[in-house]
Amino acid sequence: MDFRPKIVAFLCNWCAYTGADLAGTSRIHYAPNIRIIRIMCSGRIEPTFILKAFQQGADGVLVCGCHPGDCHYQEGNYKCLRRFKLLQKFTRQMGIEKDRLRLEWISASEGKQFAELVNDMTKTLLSMGPSKVKSSLEVEHLNV
Amino acid sequence: MEEPRIGVYVCWCGTNISKMVDVEAVTNEVKALPNVTIAKNYKYMCSDPGQDLIIKDIKLHNLNRVVVAACSPRIHELTFRTACEKAGINPYLFEMANVREQDSWVHTDRTEATNKAIDLVVAAIRRVRYHEPLQKRFVNVNPATLIIGGGISGLTAALEIANAGKQVYLVEKSDQLGGQVKKFDLTFPHLSSAQQMIRPIVQRVDNHPNISVFLETEIREVTGYIGNFKTAISVNGGDPVELEFGNIIAAVGLKPFNPEVISEYNYKEFPDVITSFEFEEKLLAGRILTVYGKEPRNVAIIHCVGSRNKKYHEYCSRVCCMAALKYVHQVRAALPSANIFEIYADMRAYGKGHEEFYALTTHRQIMFLMYDQQKKLPVINQADRSDNCNMIIEMDELLSGQSIEVPVDMVILMVNMEAQENVKQVVRAIGVSLCGNQFFIEKHPKLDPVATTTGGVYIIGTCQGPKDIPDSVAQARAAAARILGAIAQGSVPIEVTTASVNELLCCGCQTCIGVCPYKAISYDENNKVSIVNEILCKGCGTCGSACPAGAIISKHFTDLQILSEIEGVMSMS
Repeated sequence: MDFRPKIVAFLCNWCAYTGADLAGTSRIHYAPNIRIIRIMCSGRIEPTFILKAFQQGADGVLVCGCHPGDCHYQEGNYKCLRRFKLLQKFTRQMGIEKDRLRLEWISASEGKQFAELVNDMTKTLLSMGPSKVKSSLEVEHLNV
Repeated sequence: MEEPRIGVYVCWCGTNISKMVDVEAVTNEVKALPNVTIAKNYKYMCSDPGQDLIIKDIKLHNLNRVVVAACSPRIHELTFRTACEKAGINPYLFEMANVREQDSWVHTDRTEATNKAIDLVVAAIRRVRYHEPLQKRFVNVNPATLIIGGGISGLTAALEIANAGKQVYLVEKSDQLGGQVKKFDLTFPHLSSAQQMIRPIVQRVDNHPNISVFLETEIREVTGYIGNFKTAISVNGGDPVELEFGNIIAAVGLKPFNPEVISEYNYKEFPDVITSFEFEEKLLAGRILTVYGKEPRNVAIIHCVGSRNKKYHEYCSRVCCMAALKYVHQVRAALPSANIFEIYADMRAYGKGHEEFYALTTHRQIMFLMYDQQKKLPVINQADRSDNCNMIIEMDELLSGQSIEVPVDMVILMVNMEAQENVKQVVRAIGVSLCGNQFFIEKHPKLDPVATTTGGVYIIGTCQGPKDIPDSVAQARAAAARILGAIAQGSVPIEVTTASVNELLCCGCQTCIGVCPYKAISYDENNKVSIVNEILCKGCGTCGSACPAGAIISKHFTDLQILSEIEGVMSMS
């Protein structure tokens, strides 16, 4: 079967999730391989959530929050950014390529940009092939 | 925890969902999952019969959790929560899967869209198993209101609230009330006197027994939360006075754009190039004279100064076109033989009576000249002695396609409305946010335009965005109505999806205190643990993700709930 990359996306309620809804109301089509999880603020995102998604077999993880300065909770997106930078160093050491984990800002009015982002990330993941995290974890599990 | 008994309902939304998602397949796929007691699909879940279906099933099958796969939770989450409540289960024991906006409307392959819907419903089922009942909470409302800003918006709101018998504290940073309107001669489109309008309002506010006015006063810090705010202000340099109030209205207004930065207009260079606000001073003084004390024979009015231009401000200030047309009438009345040039980029006459006003203006013997703002601004130059005028405007006239020279003795620049300089200080004090143009952000741009995301804090007038007097007044009365409503209720509901601390796990490191944007967490020295003030907490969850001990619970967005959702979306692949 053809490789269909699976993306788990964490979208903040106020900007990014609303932007994704707008893509819907505007009937802007995009790749169907994304699974969106709503959180109130990108500042809520724990590294565990992202690692869990990779562990479960996600080929890519996308985090979207409000643009800098527009956070509904004043500064949650900055906190997310700081944690994200740190986490990305860690995930690369784990062998998860940089492009599999993305943080982008999407406002409530950027339905089109959201759709383009999903298509762009899908394209990148298609060229990269499946993530090996899940299978490597399974092998290690057998060795124990 | 009692064993979850989940009812799952997949909505067709007519053909909106069912056309792209095989709702029957989704229903069948999830029917046999653990804890799913019943799974159904129906044409319109949000309709009364749709809701009744849920309510009956809850009672009949003794359900204790509900999942609805339908539109975005931003649209109907509240509808279904209310249905759950009606059937006697806690509204938070409900979860929604967004299979319309984020599935059927954005995909074109029915199999892919159906698979995605299954993933999303499975995720909602897994998540809802760990939902916990949350109780609605209320706080009492102090019936006094703080209004920041004594312009037309602030004054109107103050009178509205005070006339209802409630106390108002009106704080104004300048030494007088009346705001920008007090600087205007006439208003558009009726050409009625701004002074005759604003003066009685100021007088009524000054003499109102329920309004305390504080001039030359700024608000530096506000503490508390909806219904129970506090601030300390110092009056005339004296001892600080403490004020307590339940609601806040920010009506801090605007500042005229300074055109000095636009080199083409030589604003500071030529004394007869003036802003619209400076021209109002001349009108109020009753004489239109150049700096040489002469009546100008040629008057040009340039539109969009600092507006609709990425170099300055990209947004439109909405009122300047009509104000410019107002000046045509005033100049024509004062100087019957003067040449008047309206140099505009676009004419925006969208309001009630505005297009008619524009039509009327075209009969006043004036010349409309159009310029292309994105390409080249008109340039104001010094005239030669032989030109028989004070200055020359060089411009590319768009409609004729000609490069022309316009003789002028006075130029009025219709300057943009921009945010006040001290706006950041106000924003910090009252805990609201600014958009990229430094205007206050409303809670919802269409459905809740005077509220903010901070409970009990409202924004009215030009600090929310450029607007004219009628729009400012409408916002003022709207905010007053909202506040009087809350006062009449006596108490207001507050966020329930807050954070809380599991004291057994808390190690007292205080990381959470540093990340909270609302100062909602404090340290309990006796027990050496952090404690959350759940009235101040807005539920962003950033403390939850920062806590190294996993001691903070983000209610309704717990680790377990989110991790289950992640497992859910990935479980079928």
